[in-house]
Amino acid sequence: MADDMQATIERRARIIRTFKEELIRRLNLPYAPEDLHEDISLLGSGLGLDSLDALEIILCIEGCFKIKIPDENIAVLRSINTVVDFVIEQQDRKGVAA
Amino acid sequence: MRISPLKDRFAAQGAVLRERYGMEVVARVTDKQTECRAVRDAVGLADFSFTRKYRIPAAQGLDFLDLLLAGNVPKIRFGRVLHTFLADDDGRLVGDCYVANNDEEFILLCESIVPDAEIDRVMQASGAAAAGVEDLTTSHVLLSLDGFKAWEIAKEIFGADVLGLPYLSIEVYPFQGQSVHLFRAGKTSEFGYLLLVPQAVAPALFDTLASAVEKRGGRLCGMDAHDDLRLEGRFFNIHAEGLSVRDPLVLGLQWMIDFDKENFRGCEAIKRRRAQGLQKKIVGVAAEHGCNQLVTGAHIFHDGRAVAEVVADAFSVVLEQPLGLAVFPVELAYSGLAFRLAAAGGPAVRTISMPPIMPKSLTVKLDEM
Repeated sequence: MADDMQATIERRARIIRTFKEELIRRLNLPYAPEDLHEDISLLGSGLGLDSLDALEIILCIEGCFKIKIPDENIAVLRSINTVVDFVIEQQDRKGVAA
Repeated sequence: MRISPLKDRFAAQGAVLRERYGMEVVARVTDKQTECRAVRDAVGLADFSFTRKYRIPAAQGLDFLDLLLAGNVPKIRFGRVLHTFLADDDGRLVGDCYVANNDEEFILLCESIVPDAEIDRVMQASGAAAAGVEDLTTSHVLLSLDGFKAWEIAKEIFGADVLGLPYLSIEVYPFQGQSVHLFRAGKTSEFGYLLLVPQAVAPALFDTLASAVEKRGGRLCGMDAHDDLRLEGRFFNIHAEGLSVRDPLVLGLQWMIDFDKENFRGCEAIKRRRAQGLQKKIVGVAAEHGCNQLVTGAHIFHDGRAVAEVVADAFSVVLEQPLGLAVFPVELAYSGLAFRLAAAGGPAVRTISMPPIMPKSLTVKLDEM
């Protein structure tokens, strides 16, 4: 596997793991991190979280990655993968080391 | 073959019909992309009568359903709907289910990928008769109203309180002296309502809905469009990736399972596979505009060898590009990676984060309407 692909995977895997573990802890979800598919819908269908949980997810992202979710950008919360994309984008913008 | 009571009405509009596991379904009425656009921009009306439908008295039915299905049925609050699945003894998917807690009764809707006779056998073997299960499959019709403007029609016909229903809830409304069970549900990522209607009033309700749909620039839709809409919105589709893969863990359906339950159909096999750890995982993929090789069954290549297989495909009318779902080994099952399609030197394909689109319905605040 090419080094850049490996680096992309490792970086993404780290962020996913951190986010899932914190999400499970904060929301007391009855799952292991491996049980949560990254495309799972966080709100509505899928995990079926509500608006109070959405606030907890925002705090989770802020706590884990020191990144704020703007009010108008709530679509970021649609799945674990969309959260991770946002985190990577913000880290890149801030020049945070991968 | 089981045929919908509304067949003639769809056929009169030029619908193309086809068979799915011994049931006749509407494949399309106009063409797939036109119908998809109608749902994204306005509203679509489809016949989901192929779904198996049951009424189960709450008192006897609770244990029956909880032993049958992977999700936790006793935890369903009054008026709410649980999305879960029915598996076989090997823990492989048989049906994609909605279970509604409607006070004194449960309503079970099951989109299955096996013939009716097999579902009947499973239900009877699980104690359906003792639980008082009433099969509504042929006595009732199931209509699906989906789209950006679907709420307008639901409000017009059933009243403004429809707008207060949260996603995955049920309410009963009168229509011409009969009871219509309305599920606020849907798998397109736009507003969606499933209407369980007694046959006696189904043609009248269909005509009322069809007229309201036409007035809003919507269309009658078939299952081909719904298959694409589900993938575009990244809703699980038992008729596409579900049928190809059948393992709920590979499909990422752990959220439909209560792992703390001691027993349900397929429980032992599913828990055993979970303990062994996942080897493969489903991931969204997208090809370049104009690529026609992102099709179910195609292989995805990396470093000159096939590493994944496409298990569902669709054309996104929003993104105007082909999308798919592919099963990758877990070490490569990440969004944002580049691969080749169909051959080592084939066209480019990327793994993507799902859902890839922003539905218009997310911009509407029903509580402000």
